Amino acid sequence: MIQYIVRRLLVAIPMLLGAMSIVFFAMRVLPSDPCVAMMGGDATAAALADCSKNLGLDRPLAVQYVDYLWRSVRFDFGISFRQGYPVSEYIGRMFPHTFVLVMASAVVAALVGIPIGIISALKRRNPLIDYPLRIFALLGLSMPVFWLGILLLIVFSLRFDLFPLIGGGDLDGVISMIRSGEMFTYPRDFLKAVGDVLYHLTLPALALGFTLAATVSRLSRSAMLEVVSQDYIRTARAKGNIERIVIYKHALRNMMVPLLTIVGVFIAIALTGTVLTETVFTRPGLGKMLVDAIGARDYPLAQGAVTVFTMIIIVVNLVVDMLYAVVDPRITYR
Amino acid sequence: MPRHTRRLSSTLVALACLLAALVWNAAPGATPAEAQRKILNIAAKEPDTLDPHSSTLGQSQAIARFMFRGLTRFAIKDGKVTTAETEPDLAESWTLSPDGTVWTFKLRKGVQFHKGYGEMTAEDVKFSLERQINKTPGTRYGVNLEIIKSIEVVDPHTIQIALKSFDPIFLLRMVGYQNGYIVSKKAAEKPDQFKWNPIGTGPFYFDRHVPREKIVLKAFDKFAGGRPQIDEVHWYDVPEDATKLIGLEKGTFDLLYPEVVTADFAEQIKKMGYLIDRRGPGSQERFYINMTKPPFDDIRVRRAFMHAIDRKAIKETLYPGDLARLATSCVSPGYFGHIPMQFPEYNPEMAKKLLAEAGHPNGFTIKNYFISKSFFYPKVLTLAQEQLKKVGINVELQIVEHATFHENIRKNLNPFVLYGGTRITDADPWLSLFFESTEIPDPATGNKGTNFAHYKGMDDLLQAGRVERDVKKRAAIYAEAQKRLERDLVCLPLEDVPGQWARNQKRVSTPFSPDYGEYSLHYSYNYPELLKIVN
Repeated sequence: MIQYIVRRLLVAIPMLLGAMSIVFFAMRVLPSDPCVAMMGGDATAAALADCSKNLGLDRPLAVQYVDYLWRSVRFDFGISFRQGYPVSEYIGRMFPHTFVLVMASAVVAALVGIPIGIISALKRRNPLIDYPLRIFALLGLSMPVFWLGILLLIVFSLRFDLFPLIGGGDLDGVISMIRSGEMFTYPRDFLKAVGDVLYHLTLPALALGFTLAATVSRLSRSAMLEVVSQDYIRTARAKGNIERIVIYKHALRNMMVPLLTIVGVFIAIALTGTVLTETVFTRPGLGKMLVDAIGARDYPLAQGAVTVFTMIIIVVNLVVDMLYAVVDPRITYR
Repeated sequence: MPRHTRRLSSTLVALACLLAALVWNAAPGATPAEAQRKILNIAAKEPDTLDPHSSTLGQSQAIARFMFRGLTRFAIKDGKVTTAETEPDLAESWTLSPDGTVWTFKLRKGVQFHKGYGEMTAEDVKFSLERQINKTPGTRYGVNLEIIKSIEVVDPHTIQIALKSFDPIFLLRMVGYQNGYIVSKKAAEKPDQFKWNPIGTGPFYFDRHVPREKIVLKAFDKFAGGRPQIDEVHWYDVPEDATKLIGLEKGTFDLLYPEVVTADFAEQIKKMGYLIDRRGPGSQERFYINMTKPPFDDIRVRRAFMHAIDRKAIKETLYPGDLARLATSCVSPGYFGHIPMQFPEYNPEMAKKLLAEAGHPNGFTIKNYFISKSFFYPKVLTLAQEQLKKVGINVELQIVEHATFHENIRKNLNPFVLYGGTRITDADPWLSLFFESTEIPDPATGNKGTNFAHYKGMDDLLQAGRVERDVKKRAAIYAEAQKRLERDLVCLPLEDVPGQWARNQKRVSTPFSPDYGEYSLHYSYNYPELLKIVN
């Protein structure tokens, strides 16, 4: 197993290098200039030349590339062109916001999507149940997250005043209390801070989670359909087990293997979805930061964000592969 | 139900109850201290820096005015703020040498910097100007101060600034705006730290920045003009106008700095019963026609282009009613030197006739015309595209990122350029940037100037205007410059769009009329210390 993990990590290095190289050159191939993006129409030619020099963009491309790779090895992604913050520090502050959003929407998507997929598969011959559930899945697929987000804001924030309009809550406070151990000395304050984060997280997680739930429900449906047609399910029924036992004990566990396969893809979709979710709900986070960085041609920030995204996806896929062995004892790694 | 399923269901229900309890517990309820604080909540985009000498973005310049001041400021006349006149601010008086090249400013005594950085002295003024002239990395406005030859500190409260030659707009350059802001030398000597730890003399001081969420400013007790009534300013990073509107209605925000004010946006504000503060001179949207690029090198084609564009229709479609004013000159009203100009009337038949005379009886096609996907650009260009099509000029649009658009227009890829902007309110800097031959963009030399018309016809006038000390004669020079533009048909202004912020007037008051009660530049509120929380 360890040998397998090491091998996978070694394979991840060229993948990471490839992604970093693509984003490095793609940013520079784009017909644009960070200085023009920053200084806009007011900039004179001399000012733009000065700006390029100050940002190190007047150096040969090869020198910039090697410098970028060498710094990245040390997790030093440079300084944000626009805001002047060290990129690593900036990503470090944004990452927890995106992480909790992705996790919360994954929970929503799983809680909503998996039961719907299962019921839809099992009751596929009952149009009164199957059709509404399929319509629900279609709705989720066709509703853009920004539209649903605005709708949720209008209803639950503006009309009923149940949830906040903007912000991500005091996540920094929660993290610092965990780090300092204050969560044990001031448990009430800690719980209040956690509640504040959840309070800010509810609507964004519902919006993103619901749109993802549609995909999950369709995949769960097909996974369940495949599993219930297997011989061991027929055997379980033949043994006289009641249907509920057959489904919960035999079908559900086996359905997890094909579902796990999509977790990697799911994380990628969720990360993409955070861009719009973070924008509509005015939450800090990596997704919105990346799009802003690309628009502003903030090379260090965009490069840093893509590197982190790639690492997340590599790690998630590795973990998923490990989990196969947990849910399916037939699989072993060597 | 099997036992393990029951257990799972019970766990989930318990977890849901716990989450609900936490969320319920976190629902807002202001403490008495919070309720008593007067907090101004602003929804705008996040600034890229708080160093006032370092950003050209609207939101960065708008927030800078809350924290910084200059030697002079725009004067309040008859209850209105004017951009045509200045009055003392951090300087209490000044004199000009007989030859017009040495300004001596007497500074106000006792003006304090934020956070205990001490009294503002002539050293701080010298530093503030020199850091820009010396092009300290990150500073953007040194070019506006190149007229300065030397700066001498006479005593802690007197500073002498020698110019290379007479500069008719020097007091405008010293206004608290962009290059005119005075910063603390002690704080700004480390520019990287200064970006997010700004120290000025303005009515509010910087408290904290939560990236991508908000910036908090607090009232400065020792502000020279007296402590503002507002205790705190919370500047939220809200990129979406839809979210801003919901926030205004909900009461989360008091002031909105929208990306763009459309008729729909204005209607929504009106329905809510709130106001839009309109501030001149605002930004002018206009076309520059590259007179060196065929077929626009033929003046008949340029005239045909202008006859084909229905400026009024564009203005009324995008900015109906009061949302903008039809432009009357290539130099906006509110700028020194402005005179009304005449432009070819909308007349598609005349346009076709002129095109035929110029050898294009069937019109022509412009391929790969680049236009920014942001701001007003795609909307204006789509309307203009339809109008041009009617006379046979087909424009094939390529909608690109804003940065790409800026890059491409500097590579002369567009034969005519749609552009907008605000400059210091005098004809000289405005005309210099857009019509002086040194600003012609040229990829071969790396010149990324903004003379998109490639115009060379007013260098003599611009030189003459810069040394003329008689105000009337200066005005005549710029009037002549505008007449030449009228003759050569290289600039077609469409509309003057005021700076517009939405305000909940039941919560926040300003002494100035919402309808052009202030002229301002990139910030809409010249005097944020006069804003008051009324409820």
